[in-house]
Amino acid sequence: MSFEDSRFPVPVRGDLTAALRRSWADIGRPGAWWKGPERVAIAALARAERIRRNEPPWSRDRGEPRTRLPEKAIEAARKIGADPTHLDRDWAEAAITELGDARYVELASVVVTTVAADAFCEAMGIEHETLPEPEAGEPSRERPDNMGDIGAWVPVQVIDWQRANVARALSLVPEGVRTFFRMVAAMYSGTATDFNEMVWDHRPMSRPQVELLAARVSALNQCFY
Amino acid sequence: MLLRASSDAVGAEVDLSAAVEEAADGGVEDGAVLTAFAEAVVRATDDLNAARARALEALGPAKFVEAAATIGIFNGLVRVADSTGIPGDPQMLESTADVRGPLGFNRWAGARASGVAEAPA
Repeated sequence: MSFEDSRFPVPVRGDLTAALRRSWADIGRPGAWWKGPERVAIAALARAERIRRNEPPWSRDRGEPRTRLPEKAIEAARKIGADPTHLDRDWAEAAITELGDARYVELASVVVTTVAADAFCEAMGIEHETLPEPEAGEPSRERPDNMGDIGAWVPVQVIDWQRANVARALSLVPEGVRTFFRMVAAMYSGTATDFNEMVWDHRPMSRPQVELLAARVSALNQCFY
Repeated sequence: MLLRASSDAVGAEVDLSAAVEEAADGGVEDGAVLTAFAEAVVRATDDLNAARARALEALGPAKFVEAAATIGIFNGLVRVADSTGIPGDPQMLESTADVRGPLGFNRWAGARASGVAEAPA
């Protein structure tokens, strides 16, 4: 089992470890556009690159990647994982043209899930979780309806949307949304009702404490959103 | 910015420059410990073990876990936004209009997706 309670230096909420375990297992499963082994390879590339994040990208000693992923997928996993401040529309459009928009979004969903779990481990002072064993099977190739252009680099859900844009950023791949936003609910926002309340009593920290951390992490990553 | 809204809700005055300054408390309880912890994790500094220990001591185990979880998930959330070029929400853009320029947010690459980019300094 991943994220064993005994690995943590202090007790961790059961709903948090449950969410981490489910999302971690999802990485190894066939997705909508990538197979299980490809998804684990994407996670491994993002992790390895992020570990070297303090070195300039051009000087990182990477060796030959042990994967058959397309070159652009390798580049995207590394860049999203380690260098989010260097992402721009021109680069993303080139990656999307080569990979396809849904494959790009699914790749991003695997990377962000991996990075969030890894950063949590680093904050807790434990080793990164072992990557999941890839599962056999073919991608579902499901592409949702109701996608449209809101000015993002990728199509997103446009019908009946009342929530924050970031919550629909990965909506071209619903499974990626479920995997990552399950962790968001457990690690940050709680339920939709909780999120809309400015005074929190469902978490040990006050909401201003949580939002100060959110603002600082966002600023350190130069994230405008 | 939810930092300001949540502070307003409890009648507290927050200093938003804590988002961009080193180990600043922003007027939030244990703020300096929290921001120093976040900085050490994001930057993978040599100070990480010490920053983590200070956070655990100051916050206690339950809040420490919440802080670690928040730092973890926001390292993912920023990549969701910045890998998809998602534009800012109208409400967020309106509520931060007075601080984005002075704090430098409008010079970040992601500001272009929201149509408010300024030239980098």
